[in-house]
Amino acid sequence: MATITAQGRRIDVSAGLVAWLGVLAALIVLGFVNFIRQTVDGHHLTGLTDANPWGLYLSGYVFFVGISAGATIIGLLIHGFGRKDYAPLGTRALLVGLLSLVGAVLFIAVDVGSIPRMLRLPFLWRNETSMFTYTSATYYLFGLLLAVELFLALKITRGQASSTEKSLTKWLAIAIVPFALIIVEAPHGGIFAVVKAREFWNSPLLPPHFVSAALLSATAVMVLVGAATSAATGRRIVGRETLSHMGILLAFFIALSAFFDFFDFIVFSYSDTITGNTAWHFLSSDHLPVSIVHVGGYILALSILLFKRGRETPWLTVAAAVALIAVAAYRYNLTIVGQAPPLLPFLDEAKYAPTWVELSITAGIVAFMLLGYSVLTRVLPMEEPDRTLSENETAP
Amino acid sequence: MPKYGMVIDLDKCYGCRACMVACKIENNTPEGHFWMYTFRLEEGEYPNAKTTFLPRPCMHCEDAPCVRVCPVEARYKEDTGQTSMDWDKCIGCRYCEIACPYGVNYFNWEDPKKIQYVDGGDPDLQAVTEGARPPYANPDLDGRYGEKNAHVAGGNHLKSVVGKCTFCIHRTEKGLDPACVANCPAFAMHFGDLDDPESNVSQLLQEQVGFRLLEETNTNPRVHYIGGSPPSTDAHQIEAVKGKE
Repeated sequence: MATITAQGRRIDVSAGLVAWLGVLAALIVLGFVNFIRQTVDGHHLTGLTDANPWGLYLSGYVFFVGISAGATIIGLLIHGFGRKDYAPLGTRALLVGLLSLVGAVLFIAVDVGSIPRMLRLPFLWRNETSMFTYTSATYYLFGLLLAVELFLALKITRGQASSTEKSLTKWLAIAIVPFALIIVEAPHGGIFAVVKAREFWNSPLLPPHFVSAALLSATAVMVLVGAATSAATGRRIVGRETLSHMGILLAFFIALSAFFDFFDFIVFSYSDTITGNTAWHFLSSDHLPVSIVHVGGYILALSILLFKRGRETPWLTVAAAVALIAVAAYRYNLTIVGQAPPLLPFLDEAKYAPTWVELSITAGIVAFMLLGYSVLTRVLPMEEPDRTLSENETAP
Repeated sequence: MPKYGMVIDLDKCYGCRACMVACKIENNTPEGHFWMYTFRLEEGEYPNAKTTFLPRPCMHCEDAPCVRVCPVEARYKEDTGQTSMDWDKCIGCRYCEIACPYGVNYFNWEDPKKIQYVDGGDPDLQAVTEGARPPYANPDLDGRYGEKNAHVAGGNHLKSVVGKCTFCIHRTEKGLDPACVANCPAFAMHFGDLDDPESNVSQLLQEQVGFRLLEETNTNPRVHYIGGSPPSTDAHQIEAVKGKE
């Protein structure tokens, strides 16, 4: 094992870490090459069509915006509810939020026809009645808030923050939650909900559904972050009580999202419209595997979390991974099934399946986020040294 | 300022699709893109089956959902009621395609020139067609039209932007009817000022009760149908024209 120094910190570079970074780099290169191909040749390399113009990229976009917004909840737990045992996860959550936001914007960038034109939004070109205009404006502000909060959090972990900066960090962490969930995430549900032509989406319940799914996915990610960090460093960074608390939070958010899903499914299974019938038909036929991952994932994760042992490692990690995959399936189903019903009643259902180009670009973006996280968590101070818990220590 | 609209007499339409051909030639649309499309529909069961036809241009809705959702105002309403698409502003997000209940939008998934000027990959033909304007390309489309003097009409179709029927704005600005109307052999299609009670379209709508597609979506389409009824729920399409597979 080699050791390098960066930012005044000693970083152990194991063979496993090199292999991990190598795999991520290879995926990024593959995705980038296919992105160039798609840019030069056009989006006909994707599975998208005029009948189904949004696909895997849009699903990835809403999935990672959700994680980004939901990750702010960790700061609220620390500073708003006084759960100082979450502190080791606080800076990591901000980093996850920022990287997820970057990833989400990358998903939109690879989806649109022209990135240079997209970047004129919302400052040079904007239409105030478009949800895309609104959401694009919020990214800049949300990204800025996350970056400032991360900067201040890093100063605290370095022990260089003044009392004013600590106070600012606290209030920023509290204020950023309603901003992320109400100003940033809910309007993403609005992007779909305002489309009257798509009955599957056209519901005022979609924005709150998006918020609950965001909180669920972010909580699941932070459980996985805790587990991965513990595994990588060989030390427990949050205590058992904290993990159990996260398990309860995760179960609550799964139940809340499942509540929305349940009534969505009920409404469409009873529908007497072509849209409703087609949506239900799609969910239970062509998209049955994804529907099973979505619904079955929630049921499985919730079943694990109902047991006390399920809220301890390793079961909590399993439940979080299952729940995260279930949310990804929900985002995918929502995006694709919403476009399946024919616009005019005599047309055929729209079909879509992602191509290898889309899959490789998607994998490249996810790898980019993971690479960023893997490197930055080693280069930057993620926690105050005295916050680290020993293997047998429990949180206060 | 006139407020243009179209009236289509379904009783006269016999589904020859000359409007589709006229539109393609006039607007030089890419392969697989039908800014005007005539559905051939079959309804009912033998012996009570019947075939009906439904020409579908862009509806140029008064309350166009595509205009509301376009993030950059590339999609906008002209003073004349036409719904235009500025290709120099379109970012290719396809939100207009998502929001339109009529499916009239076509994204240029690849360079239109590649699929439009068919040379079959023949190197001899490629040498001739490379950089040349095809004989059927309409130079009128290269101009700038509408109140914003924008690139809305076609001409050099661009990759990664959305195109759609313009009500042939390059013709209406010269006082001509759209190509589909001018070339309908059955005189089933009529074009004019819906705000002028003396216009041909207003007169037709006063004489006959018409309908508009998907009235329930409250988009207030500027395309009216007379001489028939909306397709029934058991209607299904026959003889569909498909684009490039």
